[in-house]
Amino acid sequence: MGRFRQTWIGLVSEVSWRLPGWPVKLLTAFGQAERGSFYDMLAAAEATDRPDLRRKYFEHALDESQHAIYFRDRIMALGGIDRARAAMEEAGALTSRGIVGGESLYERLGELDFLAFVHVAEAEAIEQFNVYCARELPDPETIAMLHKIMPDEKFHMAYPLHELEQRRKQGEGERVDTALRRVKWNRLKEGWLRFSRDIGHVMSSLWLFLLYAILIPPFSLLGKVERGGWQAPRSDRRPLAVAARSQG
Amino acid sequence: MSTWILGVSALYHDAAAVLLRDGVIVAAAQEERFSRVKHDASLPVRATKWCLEQGGISIGDLDHLVFYEKPLRKFERILANSVATFPRSWRAFPRQMVTWLGSKLWVRNQLVATFAIQPHKLLFSEHHLSHAASAFLCSPYDEATILTVDGVGEEATTGLWRGTAEAPFIEPLAEVRFPHSLGMFYSTITALLGFAVNSGEYKVMGMAAYGEPRFRAEMDQLLRLEDGGAFSLDLDYFSFHYHPTQSYRPRLVDLLGEPRMPGEPFRPTAIAGDASAEAVARNQRFADIAASAQAAIEDALLHVVRAAHAEHGGDTLCMAGGVALNSVANHRLAKEGPYDKLWIQPAAGDAGGALGAALWAWHCVLGKPRTATLDRIDLGRSWTRDQTRQILDDLGITYEDLGDTSASTERAAADLAEGDIIGWFDGRFEWGPRALGHRSILADPRGADTKDKVNARIKFRESFRPFAPAITEEAADDWYDIAPAARVPLRFMLATPTLKPEREGSLPATTHLDGTSRVQIVRRADHPHFHELIGAFSGHSDTPVLLNTSFNLKGDPIVTSPIDALATLRRSELDTLYMDGFRVPSPD
Repeated sequence: MGRFRQTWIGLVSEVSWRLPGWPVKLLTAFGQAERGSFYDMLAAAEATDRPDLRRKYFEHALDESQHAIYFRDRIMALGGIDRARAAMEEAGALTSRGIVGGESLYERLGELDFLAFVHVAEAEAIEQFNVYCARELPDPETIAMLHKIMPDEKFHMAYPLHELEQRRKQGEGERVDTALRRVKWNRLKEGWLRFSRDIGHVMSSLWLFLLYAILIPPFSLLGKVERGGWQAPRSDRRPLAVAARSQG
Repeated sequence: MSTWILGVSALYHDAAAVLLRDGVIVAAAQEERFSRVKHDASLPVRATKWCLEQGGISIGDLDHLVFYEKPLRKFERILANSVATFPRSWRAFPRQMVTWLGSKLWVRNQLVATFAIQPHKLLFSEHHLSHAASAFLCSPYDEATILTVDGVGEEATTGLWRGTAEAPFIEPLAEVRFPHSLGMFYSTITALLGFAVNSGEYKVMGMAAYGEPRFRAEMDQLLRLEDGGAFSLDLDYFSFHYHPTQSYRPRLVDLLGEPRMPGEPFRPTAIAGDASAEAVARNQRFADIAASAQAAIEDALLHVVRAAHAEHGGDTLCMAGGVALNSVANHRLAKEGPYDKLWIQPAAGDAGGALGAALWAWHCVLGKPRTATLDRIDLGRSWTRDQTRQILDDLGITYEDLGDTSASTERAAADLAEGDIIGWFDGRFEWGPRALGHRSILADPRGADTKDKVNARIKFRESFRPFAPAITEEAADDWYDIAPAARVPLRFMLATPTLKPEREGSLPATTHLDGTSRVQIVRRADHPHFHELIGAFSGHSDTPVLLNTSFNLKGDPIVTSPIDALATLRRSELDTLYMDGFRVPSPD
């Protein structure tokens, strides 16, 4: 599995780092992930009732914030100022982070699964960075930056592992294994869902474009952009109690 | 038995929730404060959860949940506009339809599914009606003319209303419809100047002070003022009404010149530094464009309110909508406008729609008499001192417990007088986009280098943007020339008076290039601890003024919790954090 994964990452990376404009895109994605992770870890530090973990989550969050800045600086150095802003400032850029239905990643997963998630995600990041560096895919400055953040990433991978091992020793081995399996499965599933959503988005956009091209033209002859200036407000003859319940 | 109403705004930008109990505001917060996603537009689940906790109720206890606009009307406008701009809308149509058909169209279902609210309790206001309600129904005035101005709601971009003491409380008078929009005009210039639309507009306002309005005639071509306070855009220059990402057409570039690249250093003549002559000339053009657009929108607003006053009379104007956050324009309205009294709802943007929707339901739908006046804006969440102490202890952070906030004001004032830059975290966080002394970064405004220090060490933001002064109510008239109508908006940092001539040069860190400042007048009743702090600082410095900027770093929402505040302390070069009576020095 490990060798297959590495080969797969290697193949995909060989292509993606060489496509024009893609290094900036990839760095942006990493920058956003680091920034999203900063907020996720901060939320975990807020929510946990374990003082030792609170401290580790807090330090982890601060590391992620610093990493996001490193990525931003590299993006800017490579001329992607707009993307650097997107990675650091824009709400849309962070939509992929842990908040779903108003719950943070920690709240959704609970302590055990959260620790498993952090361990797995950080291990995967390290694996990816190692492949990039070994194959010398990014530019030398970016490789230097990846080397700079690697010790932090190793700490981020190790402390949750240590915690999981402790739990194993306390007789929770089965729960830990289940949590790790669940997290890995969910990451695969989420990856697949993201891919499916992207495909679905392309397909629906295509269909909607066809709809636009076929159905809209006859109506467009009647359509008119609103004129400027004051206009009388639309009158609504419905009783207020009825209109107030309506979405239209 | 109490009547509980929850107002909700969401799904465009700046989602928020506001809880009313018998028409009185119990809690109000933007979702971004909890989710930590700036301008978060998603349904405000966390803000709602906290509002309900604050009220001590569950969702089942709500009598109504009110959404701030009518989604079907908005969808109709988008569809009609796509048809009217065929074939140029070919890029926007699929994108908009995917978004709308995928989620935005099903707001009722989303609200029911997300909040587990019974469908019969749902009400839907209208976008500009929510703004109008937010502006008037919590103002201290019985009657007023109401002006709502933003990018666009359902169809309207500008609304004129009459506010009355008795039912129906709010009557529509006239509206201007999309795409003719003052908000979109300003946002287009924002995009041309390389800033993000819907969040970079205030940077244009800051940039304007560095320029001369030498493109004023060009702006008149873009934004035409017509008889009776009307206006329209020359749509040949704009593309925001049919293009998903590009706000303007090449004709606008022909008219005003090449756009500014995002992130490009801003080096006009006044702050040229070592920039080349060519770069300075180019940047001066950007400053002049900003100044021209700012002058154009100010003139347009004056044009609208003068005509409204001529036709409808009255002495009071209430305002809301994103454009009402333009504090420079507000000050001109206060100084040169025809109204003696001006009230601007502090969360004038879309977040404020949640407040307006709730107030509309209470007064207009349920027919209840006027009750609420929005004086205190510390309507967000607070933490107990025990909770804060626990966090500090858990994180192993060195701190001093000074007892309570009052006890710490003297110490904080001394630190400030020594030149420290401090984080100030006091009680509940503020409603609206401004930090008004509850989640603030504070500094001594007298130092010539303070602004650069705060920018370089802490805020990491563009050096041309000014910082705001907070001054005690008692001292305000000794320091600033305040137009009478600006007095109330200044409580919420919504106008920009000029420093008195005899004070010139005394507050370099908070005085903008043009001599104005976005002042906050601090009343003891509204912000007792902050007022006390400024007073104590005055004791050290004879200056009852502090530099007050929001407690956040670039790209972050304003801090919410002690953990956020501590993370901000660690990620910046703040000297000290004062947090509900705890003094936390910087670890460095």
